[in-house]
Amino acid sequence: MRSIDIHAHLTPQCFWRTTEGGGDWHTIGRQQDARGRQYAVVGGRRQELPPRARWTPEERLADMDSLGVDIHVVSPYSGFYNYDLDTTIAAATSRDANNEIRDMITSWPDRFAGLATLPMQDVPAAIAELERVMVQLGFKGAMINDQVNGRTLDDAAFLPFWKAAEQLGALILFHQGGGTMVSSRLPRYHLPNTIGNLAERTVTFASLVFGGVMDACPDLKICLSHGGGYTCYGIGRMDRGWQSRPEARQHIPQPPSAYLRRFYYDCIVYTEQALRYLIDTVGVDRVVFGTDWPYDMEFDWPVSWILSLESLTQDEKEAILWKNLERVLGL
Amino acid sequence: MRTIDIHAHLMPQCLWKTVDAGQVWHGSRYEPGAGLGAVVRDGKRIPIQSPKLRFTPEERLQDMDAQGVDVQVISIHMPLVGYDLEPAEGRQLARDVNDEIAAMTRQWPTRFAGLATLPAQDVGAAVEELERAVTTLGLEGAELDTVMQGHTWDEPQFLPLFKAAEALGAVLFFHPQPQDNLVLARTDKYGLANSIGVPVEDALVVAALIFGGILDACPALKACIAHGGGPACFGMGRMDRGWQVRSEARLHIQKPPSTYQQRLYYDCITNSEAALRFLIDQVGIDRVVLGSDWPFVQWDPSPVAWVQGLQSLTAEEKSKILWENLEQLLGL
Repeated sequence: MRSIDIHAHLTPQCFWRTTEGGGDWHTIGRQQDARGRQYAVVGGRRQELPPRARWTPEERLADMDSLGVDIHVVSPYSGFYNYDLDTTIAAATSRDANNEIRDMITSWPDRFAGLATLPMQDVPAAIAELERVMVQLGFKGAMINDQVNGRTLDDAAFLPFWKAAEQLGALILFHQGGGTMVSSRLPRYHLPNTIGNLAERTVTFASLVFGGVMDACPDLKICLSHGGGYTCYGIGRMDRGWQSRPEARQHIPQPPSAYLRRFYYDCIVYTEQALRYLIDTVGVDRVVFGTDWPYDMEFDWPVSWILSLESLTQDEKEAILWKNLERVLGL
Repeated sequence: MRTIDIHAHLMPQCLWKTVDAGQVWHGSRYEPGAGLGAVVRDGKRIPIQSPKLRFTPEERLQDMDAQGVDVQVISIHMPLVGYDLEPAEGRQLARDVNDEIAAMTRQWPTRFAGLATLPAQDVGAAVEELERAVTTLGLEGAELDTVMQGHTWDEPQFLPLFKAAEALGAVLFFHPQPQDNLVLARTDKYGLANSIGVPVEDALVVAALIFGGILDACPALKACIAHGGGPACFGMGRMDRGWQVRSEARLHIQKPPSTYQQRLYYDCITNSEAALRFLIDQVGIDRVVLGSDWPFVQWDPSPVAWVQGLQSLTAEEKSKILWENLEQLLGL
């Protein structure tokens, strides 16, 4: 029995080190409030960092041991996507963060695998960095936002990126960064996260499917975090839209539900009934273990939670906890 | 055995008479074009997606007979709601619509019930019109958008409206804009504003009512959310987690949001049996009611037949959805 976590972030030590004495990490600064809470300052925005974001790899490993998590497939903190900054800055922060993950993999090859961050505002630069991490650093793929400065990933400009990811065998994990579509509508009650993330992920599924990306790249490996948001629950209305609207059929010959099994989905849906619904809709071979370490929205004691679920068979639990990711990532 | 449909739209005859004469109806005008043309208002095109949108009440009754629907609870097609108008004109639009719906319910009292349009851009006027609609016109309540000119219903200025609805025993039916909603901020392609934006708006209004403390402030409020409340019930676990870990989510409510979802009603337009079963299991069978989205959904053969044919529902559950719950809620 193993457990492999696809959804575990890193706020790189190089950020903490270079900002320690008030310096900046490629223009990104750090502030501390009166209660000692830490903030990254990115392009003028203050982004709160949780206490565990500062932990060293050794401290992370101790926490993983406590949680019963064997492997973190580490991805950089989404607050450092930096798509709205100069490409040179985003390329530099991407290289630094990715190199640090490479060092973690080198030191603890049984405990860490890597997903890169990429300067997606510059498609050739993003492809170059993806090639570097896949070919030279031994990564498994990359994590990107649901949109790049307002453009969804079905925009024709990104097709070379998708072709490169497909050819390199890179798994692309989708994860929001910055605000969501709910932020400007209803910024209260944490809804930009608790509804917005799920809405963004659903639009990402739909953009890649309706936009024909999944047909153009039949071997592409995509993982949608947060269980794919509302995708599995809302697929019926997407099918109806495809049946009734010509613009929905522009690129795809099959209804969107036919593409559900082309994606992977992490298991961060919080309730047993929702996880059961996800499994029953997309198939258990498509659901993978993820925890959202080290943020407050991670779910508590994730391994024992999965193990305790009465509506899942032992085979289903093992598929989710490790077998699916072992197969998909070759771990 | 009866069937009562909470979700049935109207483009009023008073609109058609005016725009067909080339005149402007409270900011709306008709524009011929592809298909059946469009009504244009506030700079936006509302395509006429079905010839049934022009139906007279008599033609509508024939269509209801064909679909096995005994009672339609009529509400305006939401793009016409007119929150953008000056308050005086918004009030007049609401009166015109509500008078027409009331006339339908008077002429065919066993076939039609009504939900009013309210000029929510002026909360005082909205309260007055709701009182008139319920006490004078005999309507069952009102239909509200999921957002009012960028304002959400959890904002304190709207509380008098919810207090009034509670005191009147009026049902509030929340329904988003199908073509103009928050998904447009992300993408305008593939009809996703409708297929994703509509249910996301439904989920957001569930969240606004719960997290905003409105259900605590108005414990007897009767509210129904269109399209099964969107994916609110499926995503409730994440809202509960947000409530656990963020003080801003606990600002108005002392209990997790999932404990409030059984306080709302939801229509059965979930687009799949599995989703409807999930909704029932989360919110309780007493909270799910028949909706057809007339005339926008091409049911084959009818919304009633769809519910009746579902394998995973008991006969008692089907009766509750088809009529018992709405009979009780609306006193029909």
